[in-house]
Amino acid sequence: MRISKRSTMLLGVATAMLLATSGCSNGLLAGDSSGSADTGTVKLAMVVPISGPSAPTGEYMQNAAQLAVDEINKAGGVLDGRQLELLVEDEACDAQQGVASANKAVSAGAVVSVGGYCSGATLPQLPIFAEANVPMIIPAANSQDLVKQGLKNVFLVNGTGNQQSTAALKYMLKSGVTSVALVDDNDSYAVDITAETKRLIEDDGAVTVALSTSVTPGESDYSAAVRDIMSANPELVYWTGYYQEGGLIINQLRNAGFEGKIMVADGSVDASISTIAGANAEGVLATMTQTPDTLEGGGDWIASYEDAFGSAPGPFSLQSYDAVRLAAHAIDEAGSTDGDAIIAALEAVDGFKMFSGPLTFTAEHTLSSGGFVILSVQDGAFALEDALS
Amino acid sequence: MQIIWDGLFVGSFYALIALGYSMVYGIIKLLNFAHGDIYMLGAFIGFVMLTSMGGLPGALSIGALLVVLLASMVLTGGAGVLIERFAYRPLRKAPRLAVLITAVGVSFTLQYGVSAIMGPNPRSYPVRLEGDVFDILGARISLPQVLLMAIAAILMVSLNTYIQKTSTGRAMRSISLDMKGSLLMGINVNSVITRTFFIGSALAGAAGVMSGAYYGKIDFMMGFLIGLKAFTAAVIGGIGNIQGAMLGGLVLGLLEAFGASVFGGEWRDVFSFVVLILFLTLRPTGILGERVTERV
Repeated sequence: MRISKRSTMLLGVATAMLLATSGCSNGLLAGDSSGSADTGTVKLAMVVPISGPSAPTGEYMQNAAQLAVDEINKAGGVLDGRQLELLVEDEACDAQQGVASANKAVSAGAVVSVGGYCSGATLPQLPIFAEANVPMIIPAANSQDLVKQGLKNVFLVNGTGNQQSTAALKYMLKSGVTSVALVDDNDSYAVDITAETKRLIEDDGAVTVALSTSVTPGESDYSAAVRDIMSANPELVYWTGYYQEGGLIINQLRNAGFEGKIMVADGSVDASISTIAGANAEGVLATMTQTPDTLEGGGDWIASYEDAFGSAPGPFSLQSYDAVRLAAHAIDEAGSTDGDAIIAALEAVDGFKMFSGPLTFTAEHTLSSGGFVILSVQDGAFALEDALS
Repeated sequence: MQIIWDGLFVGSFYALIALGYSMVYGIIKLLNFAHGDIYMLGAFIGFVMLTSMGGLPGALSIGALLVVLLASMVLTGGAGVLIERFAYRPLRKAPRLAVLITAVGVSFTLQYGVSAIMGPNPRSYPVRLEGDVFDILGARISLPQVLLMAIAAILMVSLNTYIQKTSTGRAMRSISLDMKGSLLMGINVNSVITRTFFIGSALAGAAGVMSGAYYGKIDFMMGFLIGLKAFTAAVIGGIGNIQGAMLGGLVLGLLEAFGASVFGGEWRDVFSFVVLILFLTLRPTGILGERVTERV
């Protein structure tokens, strides 16, 4: 609710930001896109949050996608020399804004969509892209609701909530935790993981759910949730929302004297969590797919990202980069920009090399292997804790 | 006990912000929706000042924080005055709806102005209030909490004295009763309105700095939700009434704390706002609303 009321006003700001960002990406592309104007560019749509509270992540995703586009174009583009073009639109983590941006992208002639961060804003975009028969390779949004639509044009390259919950339970069992508290922020994505984790835990029977509660995002004081957690006294708290509230909750829990484990889901994996919670963030666990920092051989990739954008990559940079590469691969395989051909090519992908491991889609168009690992905060940064293999 | 303490603590933040809403409404009948963003602005001004001071030893940091608190209050107060001068005063005779929309516009201007300058990422405060925690009757109370509550109480008591005892305070009360009449009685209405905006904004700025130093995280949207809550608090207490705003803030804080512990966290806001609706239905003037003669 906090953003939806303001979406119309956001539009103006978003457009301004878009102008600024697309201006600079044109500059990057200008050198190598000159010779192919007659055959026309192949347009990829990327609807990610560029304004609003999730804007930092949108930037990580947008930059990484641009990096992939530039690399592919330098190597000769797709379909025998046609250049890729990234159309970035703002989703603002808001359903209405997402729909408006998706419509805009479709009417601009996008062939494949490689965006989608907030599940709540991505969900209403699905029918728009489906109607235009535009395949969607969703790099970050991973709510089970996206899968449940059963649309043939939707592909998820991030692990789903289900796979994340499985990883969470696996770690709980492995570390001998017997009671947990599940806390979410009422967002579609977070509730999805909490509900799924709760179901898995109850099916398994070895762990009990001591408390399942929600907080209102956008506040500063979470003493009510902290009080509930303290009185339920679980051995592990699993926070499934985003990092801004996550950092505050971790800090307030520790200050209230909570000594058990704290685990967060992938929406909270951001360096800011340690600046917000300070020393209290040390040792906080996270269920997450591999990030550039935790990946072996990720160093070169980080260096080229930093060269291009002057800042370090962040969460979902890898997935966005891979989503563009996958889109280019599928377009080449399909031999055309026709939606059905690309969808068929995506379904036929077998062992495409990605950062998260070789990619093959399941019948539901999710990853055949989720690639979730456990990270923990060490000296203020997330590092690999347990590969769960 | 813990519930009551937590409720009072959050409530004192609501109260500080609610005061600004209530004072402005009392005088020019304007719901100043930019008020929550003044709170955000205060937090960011404090952040910039503390960051530019660099690292400070622990003993000095409390003193520095108090200085920054006062400086931020002056600056946010000034910002409030500027907003009134350039955004609201030209519309003094316009329909009330126009001013209301202007207030929403000011709110966005502040939010996205700060976002453009400071970036959309959340920032964390360089000085963090940390201190001993002690148990009183089963409630965990920390020293910083006590300190912040004390600052809030001092600010509210001095405001009350100012309005009840000084001539400006009297002028404020008379304008809220009858603006034209006050003008005829020789009161400089514009200067009093300016002062009202200054005081209200300074209080919100103080709350912003306190929140930054205590919770540690600030971002450009932080004023939105707390602004709505403070508005609710002002209505519960009786909008336009100073003591009502203070009382309303504490009541809302307590309601939230009880709502969360009785119905669970996901029902907390439902509970609080159902109470607000009940209040508006059964007693539209709020708890202290009947003291119309004291409206400011």
